[in-house]
Amino acid sequence: MRKNSAFWLQCLLGLALVALVVLVFRTTQSNLELLGVQSGFDFLWKKAGFSISQHLIPYTEDSPIWAALAVAILNTLLLAVFCIFLASVLGLVVGIGRLSSNWLVSRLSLAYLELFRNIPVLLQIFFWYYVALRALPSLESSIFITDYLVLNNRGLYFPFIEFGNGFSISPPVMGRFAYEGGFYLMPEFLALWIGLSLYNGSYISEIVRSGFQSVARGQWEAGAALGLKPVTVLRRVAFPQALRAVLPPLTTVYMNMFKATSLAAAIAYPEIVSVFVGTVNNLAGRPVEVMAVTLAFYAGVSFLVAWLMGRWNKRITLRGQ
Amino acid sequence: MLTWIAALPQLKRNWYGIAGAAVLAFFSVAAVGADTLSDVLERGMLRCAVIEASPGFSSIDANGRRYGFDIDNCRTVAAAVLGDADAIEYVPINPNTAFTTLQSGGVDVFPGGATWTFLRDTSLGLDYTGAYLYAGQGFVVRRASGVSRIPDLEGATICVAQGTTNEQNLADYFRARRMKYSIVTFADVERGLNAYLADRCDAFTTEVFSLAGRIVALRNPEEHRILGDVISKEPFSGLVRQGDPRWRDIVFWAFNSRVAAEEFGLTMGNVEEMRARTEDAEVRRFLGVEGGFGQQLGLRNDWAYQIVVQVGNYGEVFARHFEPLGLERGLNALWRDGGLMIAMPYR
Repeated sequence: MRKNSAFWLQCLLGLALVALVVLVFRTTQSNLELLGVQSGFDFLWKKAGFSISQHLIPYTEDSPIWAALAVAILNTLLLAVFCIFLASVLGLVVGIGRLSSNWLVSRLSLAYLELFRNIPVLLQIFFWYYVALRALPSLESSIFITDYLVLNNRGLYFPFIEFGNGFSISPPVMGRFAYEGGFYLMPEFLALWIGLSLYNGSYISEIVRSGFQSVARGQWEAGAALGLKPVTVLRRVAFPQALRAVLPPLTTVYMNMFKATSLAAAIAYPEIVSVFVGTVNNLAGRPVEVMAVTLAFYAGVSFLVAWLMGRWNKRITLRGQ
Repeated sequence: MLTWIAALPQLKRNWYGIAGAAVLAFFSVAAVGADTLSDVLERGMLRCAVIEASPGFSSIDANGRRYGFDIDNCRTVAAAVLGDADAIEYVPINPNTAFTTLQSGGVDVFPGGATWTFLRDTSLGLDYTGAYLYAGQGFVVRRASGVSRIPDLEGATICVAQGTTNEQNLADYFRARRMKYSIVTFADVERGLNAYLADRCDAFTTEVFSLAGRIVALRNPEEHRILGDVISKEPFSGLVRQGDPRWRDIVFWAFNSRVAAEEFGLTMGNVEEMRARTEDAEVRRFLGVEGGFGQQLGLRNDWAYQIVVQVGNYGEVFARHFEPLGLERGLNALWRDGGLMIAMPYR
């Protein structure tokens, strides 16, 4: 009987929540109508009419707005993937470095942690953007890392496969204003990649350190007693056990890092907030729809990341624990 | 619900503004047959949207007082409606949030920097109140680059700000001529110009009036060159909410009065004397000596007099803010001097 009433209470709460959402939706719709503001998602099929400097799929000013949205989403995901990769590598190296018996290595790791964890990430991004931009050489005095890898204040240029008749490798060639051909990473991308990775890498290093420290001392000693090399103990004995402690907090950092890519809007990297909430909202004048799409994107991807990490976590959890 | 809130991206002020405005749109209940005039009179203050830190248009002096062309636009409406050009509550906005703030009732009028275009007029739920400044989109380049005309910019990297028609004008111009370019899009003019100054771009583009104001304010303006041509028409107009025809009329005629005053030869200095002795029937109606024109708008009869005596005529306002920047009247001269400024008659 008690169980039954709890069930109905939950149903009631659920219904109330749905009713609230419907009410907000209807009120918004009728308010916008009263204001004479057009609403709806038809604007997604209109011609965009603006250019985006970095696009991973074909895009021109004649493409529809949904294509601009796709370009912006891909740019967001590209940045997120690059950041998650670099921050993970940094975090792993520094986290293990913290545990090193080598005084210099462990102190350097600690210095990295304290420096980057204690400064707001937006300031770090501005630092890398404005300082690095001014420090990099201009076009005429570009740095040639190799013959085909060129760095200047317009970005990092490298050869890229060009699809035309079949495909060929096109190297960057100097034009009047900039290098042309090949592919390049914008300074905005580089600043964000470095800034977000260094900041979040510091958090990951702490997670990694605590993960390894959670592995019982006896496990390390047992590994050593079996005559395994220290590296092998680390890889085969400690790491798999540490992973269990690492994954749940790591999921949080990955999700935060993904959401923090929206800071890109502050320095002109064309991701979803800059392109969609900025440019498209201004052209289409549909703030409610634009915000809804953007929020759905962030919530959806965050949910996906959490779900995947949750499944991985489940697979490695010890039975009975 | 909480995950949704957590998923809100960490953003700077602009985007918070948009999000806030979107939330306002959720919850604000629009009054049918809105009466902005009564609201303003009751409040005793005009809520006026301004874009900050735009030399020539909107700045703050050493004493903390706002001044600039846009500020005088606010003052013009306040003088007409309240008889006091300084009874204004300034609401700082940025181009990205301007329309939404106005739509959701955060301000009574946005009198600055909005280009009058078809789509904005027909889809935003806002009304334009008549063009009061004709500008165009221009470019600034470094003198050392050797660029002297816009077509020289083929292949260049160009910095631009969002929230304007500039992005589309740029795309239209270069695409029509099959010229290559790459674009770096910033959230506002300040950041875009800074990036240009840091050599991120070969050129920066925005509307020429604000461009001139910003270049003059640089430490070394002689290192830069504003190209002679423009790639667009930018007729600036005030904006009010749609659906309040009386308020739209008031803002339109307030701006019209400054041009009329210049045509009549009325200035801040002579308007008091002219009001006492003029025989011209139109000027007498304009200044409220006869005809009761103010009442027709729901205002005091000296509404236009207050504009001229407190703010000045169009030429005075233009000279006050744009002449120090080296800008000429050009299209903004009176019609009889070859410009586009013409006042609708007071009869």
